[in-house]
Amino acid sequence: MSGYALDAETAKDRLQSELSRARYTLGKVLEDNAAKIGFGIILAFVFMGLFGPYLAPHHPIEHTMRADGSMMRLESPSAAAPMGTTSFGKDVLSQFLAGARPTLIVGVFGGIGTGVLGFLVGLTSGYFGGRVDEALMRLTDLTFALPFLPMALLILSFVTPNIWLITGVLVIFLWKMPARVIRSEVMTVKERTFVKSARARGAGHLRTMFLHVAPNVLGIGFLYTAYAFGWSIVAGASLAFLGFGDPTMTSWGRMLQQVYRSGAMRVAWWWVFPPAVGIAAVTTAVFLVGRAFEELVNPDLQSEQE
Amino acid sequence: MSLLEVNDLKIKYRTAEEDVHAVNDVSFSIGEQDNYGLVGESGCGKSTIAKTILGMLDDNGEIAAGSVQFKDRELADLSENEWQDIRWEEISYIPQSAMDSLDPVMTVGAQIRQAIHKHRDATKAEADERVAEVFEIVGLDPARTSDYPHEFSGGMRQRVTIAMALVLDPDLIIADEPTTGLDVIVQDKIIDKLLEIQDEVDSSMLLITHDVGVVAETCDNVSVLYGGKVMEQGATYDVFMHPTNPYTMGLQNAFPVVDEFDEQAISIPGSLPELTEEPTGCVFRNRCPFATEECEDGHPPLTASGSQLSACYYTDRADEMREAAAEPETWGIEAEDDRETSHETGDVILETDGLEKWFKQTQSFLDDMRGTEPDYVKAVNGVDLTVRQGEILGVAGESGCGKSTLGEVIAALQPRTGGDIYVDGTSVDDLLAESTKKFRSQVQFIFQDPFDSLNPRQRVKAAVAEPLKIQGYDQETIDRRVRETVSDVGLNPPEKYLDQLPAQLSGGERQRVAIAQALVLQPKLLICDEPASMLDVSLKANILNILREMADKRDIGIIYISHDLASLTQIANRLAVMYLGRVIEIGETREVVQNPRHPYAASLLAASPQTDPSVNRQRVLLPGEPPNPVNLPGGCNFAPRCPKASEECRKDEPKRSSFKDGGHEAACYFPVEDVESELLAQYARNRGETAVQPVDEGSIEESVEGE
Amino acid sequence: MSFRRFLIKRTAIAAILTLVAVSVIFATLRMLPSDPFSGLVASGALTPSQVEELRALYGLDEPIWVQYLKYIQNLFTFQFGLSLTQQRPVSEIIGPALLNTMVLLLPALITTAIVSSLAGMYAGWNRGSWFEQFSIITTTFFRATPIFVTGIFLLIIFSYGLGWFPAFGMRSPMANPEGLAATYFSLDFLKHYILPFTATVLFYSGDFLMLARNSVVERKGSEFLKLHRAKGLSEMEQLGRAGRNSMLPLVTYFALRTGMLFQGVITLEVVFAWPGIGRALVQAILNQDYPTVQAAVFIMALAVIVMNLTADIAYARLDPTVEAGDV
Repeated sequence: MSGYALDAETAKDRLQSELSRARYTLGKVLEDNAAKIGFGIILAFVFMGLFGPYLAPHHPIEHTMRADGSMMRLESPSAAAPMGTTSFGKDVLSQFLAGARPTLIVGVFGGIGTGVLGFLVGLTSGYFGGRVDEALMRLTDLTFALPFLPMALLILSFVTPNIWLITGVLVIFLWKMPARVIRSEVMTVKERTFVKSARARGAGHLRTMFLHVAPNVLGIGFLYTAYAFGWSIVAGASLAFLGFGDPTMTSWGRMLQQVYRSGAMRVAWWWVFPPAVGIAAVTTAVFLVGRAFEELVNPDLQSEQE
Repeated sequence: MSLLEVNDLKIKYRTAEEDVHAVNDVSFSIGEQDNYGLVGESGCGKSTIAKTILGMLDDNGEIAAGSVQFKDRELADLSENEWQDIRWEEISYIPQSAMDSLDPVMTVGAQIRQAIHKHRDATKAEADERVAEVFEIVGLDPARTSDYPHEFSGGMRQRVTIAMALVLDPDLIIADEPTTGLDVIVQDKIIDKLLEIQDEVDSSMLLITHDVGVVAETCDNVSVLYGGKVMEQGATYDVFMHPTNPYTMGLQNAFPVVDEFDEQAISIPGSLPELTEEPTGCVFRNRCPFATEECEDGHPPLTASGSQLSACYYTDRADEMREAAAEPETWGIEAEDDRETSHETGDVILETDGLEKWFKQTQSFLDDMRGTEPDYVKAVNGVDLTVRQGEILGVAGESGCGKSTLGEVIAALQPRTGGDIYVDGTSVDDLLAESTKKFRSQVQFIFQDPFDSLNPRQRVKAAVAEPLKIQGYDQETIDRRVRETVSDVGLNPPEKYLDQLPAQLSGGERQRVAIAQALVLQPKLLICDEPASMLDVSLKANILNILREMADKRDIGIIYISHDLASLTQIANRLAVMYLGRVIEIGETREVVQNPRHPYAASLLAASPQTDPSVNRQRVLLPGEPPNPVNLPGGCNFAPRCPKASEECRKDEPKRSSFKDGGHEAACYFPVEDVESELLAQYARNRGETAVQPVDEGSIEESVEGE
Repeated sequence: MSFRRFLIKRTAIAAILTLVAVSVIFATLRMLPSDPFSGLVASGALTPSQVEELRALYGLDEPIWVQYLKYIQNLFTFQFGLSLTQQRPVSEIIGPALLNTMVLLLPALITTAIVSSLAGMYAGWNRGSWFEQFSIITTTFFRATPIFVTGIFLLIIFSYGLGWFPAFGMRSPMANPEGLAATYFSLDFLKHYILPFTATVLFYSGDFLMLARNSVVERKGSEFLKLHRAKGLSEMEQLGRAGRNSMLPLVTYFALRTGMLFQGVITLEVVFAWPGIGRALVQAILNQDYPTVQAAVFIMALAVIVMNLTADIAYARLDPTVEAGDV
């Protein structure tokens, strides 16, 4: 089997053409209005995730005090607390700004982890077929069968949840989605003439797999990484809402858990809406951009006039 | 009075960048019971015209000017509702790809009934009766109306669509490439069916095709289209007997004919015109060897020339041009000496001995347990071949005969199940054991589909360099060899192409890059699987010429696999004909073509259409289709379809050398002497006796090719 | 491959898969750092000797492989034992909870499968239309947003804000219905039902809509539809054929979704305090009531595996062009 050697020049050339492709694709995606709005929301969210804590007027777990020194508990928005306070006397705006970061971390690392793992499994499974494929696909069946939230809750109930652990658990349960799609895509690409041709020219399996098959399913891989970004946020928020979030960090999911637990949901709309709208906006934005991207990369949707 | 009258039709497609003028000022008319042909290569606008007549132009297409009158009614102004009444009731349609044109989840009978119920008040029983009737007309078993499309073979499905087109007795039937993609014998039977229907039914037919042979054999009148313009128009006989337009001449000459084996293939240089603007000069001027400055001044009008119309400024020089057009030099192709006399083939480079490739059929669980011997599809079943240096061995056969599998097995792209392969005297096993890399540097492969044979993400330079990189050459050698090879396959200057992506290249250019990929390693043996079959006829010859040159100049041994006998006779030194995994006839190309001995080879050769309208060819009505390769009958595989078969044939399988005359061998106990009387006449007689096909119609393509 | 052989193979795989899933559940539960009773001891609820008795009662004093075998045997005979915290058989806890979940989710799933698929087909047929854009953006929103967030929005608007519907549970605290009919067919139940039902329908709508829309888009340019059009079929009749040809992925997806039904939408049940299996499971996990957890997770896994098998078979049966062996 011939090695998978790439010289620097080829790699650079390759990278450049991939980059210009990516730019071109992004331009195409942004022609869709919904995707444009979604992209804007994602940018704002990433900005908040990076700089939110520094912008916040208070530390998220610091009590907000009135000038006279008494604590502001469950107060509606005012000049002192533009988004009101929680029943524990904390500033909602500060919590909201700080809460973007854990949500972003779970989303980004959960998304990338899921995408990369799923891509590699799908590529291997689809390319080699046979026994390898059978084994890997039964493994995905297994992760489909085991209910995600209960299993995650179980695992997290006997170890103290922290954000990296949570991300890891999400990846373990989410990789199956991209893996299946990539696999079936690889099985189509594998049958295409240029892959057979590469074999006939003497390319080994690794070279064929990574140089000829992989680049042609990369689009779908990115798409599912984007979707996994959304799923991870949803799953992370659900865990936090059920009380299994990272107790050391204020995330939007945890804010919702606190408002639900405190029984203040009936009155404190200012406490509910920021995290709820935040989560809904970000996940929807990711999926809207994803949909627009899917119209480009899904070959089945490229209908009639070429 | 004419049935359909198209006047000065202009059709535009709007695209994101610019408009495409697909059809420009096309006029023609079809009379009652007329058979009209529109012929031209891809992109000439023929399918667009067909869609317009059905009111099914793509959403971004529009009729910019002109009129389409059907029975004195303007079709261009009809609303979708009015169209729905006309479609099928008055104008029906035989689609191009019968493979995909039938609804996969509806029985064929129901699909035809649907057309009846849509337009007529008929009870289900009446509709069923009519369906059975049209099934009989097209030669299908009426008992099969409740089968699903996938249960029919390609040829059968095409019959279903023809039956569907006939069911309401329309005034006009539009047939869009009805035989493209079918095997030549099946094609011949479909053409025969169409001609028979033309005689019996009152409908007119508009036949759209790229195949000059098909038009020449079936149509009364014809328009030759190029770049959205009519180039020549008139009675088919006149147009193809005495073409007066250079494009018609080029097209006809480029179309290979089976028995013209010592002629150099002709191709039209250059590529199709961009149609983003209305033509300012003759649309063909850039590729026309006779073009002058005058040709820049607008597209020439159709003027009477002889008994037909021709769009050329030089129709008065037609005879002169016709003579010149027959010479390859006119089309910029260097003349070659006759290869058979000048070129000696060298040492044996490839030898196969009893080569076998059997595919195991899955069997029932219980049989597995009992250890029952499973059934096999014998895709390649005991093939002995030799190829010499500088020799092109043609392998011919219908789809499913095992020819592609044979190629891939020889190239070690699939493991074989029996027999031996020797390359340059060394067993393939030894070569592979030593190094796969080394084997690949000696044996290379060219695939069929030029549109898919290059990695869409790899530039030409990287694609051609890859085999060298795998072999571990240094960068300098790689650069030099890539440049040389790209130039050798006719992509000049190489700089223009090296940095392009496959999407920027035309089909012909892509196939050249694929050839360069194979040649860059300077292999000893090259296996080509239908390398030209998906290219337009005017480009096909280019590819053939490159391969011929490689064999001659570099002493490469080439196996050229194709279903297209005409291309094979132009290029191959020797020809092997395969049927159900066996080579049933082999010999010098000229010998095999002129005196085929095996009844199957003879039928195959006789089924190729002729572009010369004066030839009145007898059709090959070989009954049935190749039997299911799983349960082959004992004895000769061809015996169930062979009019000459005797008891002996059914009992013992003839050896390949049963007939032997020098290098010419045929696996037949009763070699054919006279094709006409022994076979063709016999087929025609048999057809009258058996309306329903006697042989198992199991669709062989799926079971063999689809593994 | 014959259909029977295919069936046998698939069933065997499903059985093995169930066994593996069950083993994973067992292993996960045994991986817990301490057994479920130490917590009770620490809190002073039980004395150590009582714990020993309990351990014996639950068979926890036996070697691990004996426990494993017994556990497998019990699960496959649907004997789930006693709840640790509620002192009643596990089946009495999860039986009604399962029923409540089914009553909520099955009608919602069927409704959305039909409505969204039809809307999706229509959207795909009219690609680029206002309806397509609108339906995609709306359903994407509900599909992307976590269902408990949608639930919270509905609660705040329709329950707290407008006061139209009650916020919690399946019936009013006062009601004490007897029998199935009184439980599930009363106005009181309906009032409690509407919000979680709506949230579920909206949540599931996105997948069906996109699947139907994409399948129709895929088929819209196909040759066989062109032929149907050439035959003179009207727009709606053509859409009907495109829809029929898109049924397969939809039916398959519906079967898979049904399998996931028992897993419920846990967060939704929590938000609306719906006494379903998801909520019961969360409570069991919080209370460390492991027999209940085991049983509930087992039933969820089994449902998925069985419905996966059903989907495979449906696929092989529904599509005339698919041979059983191709799946």
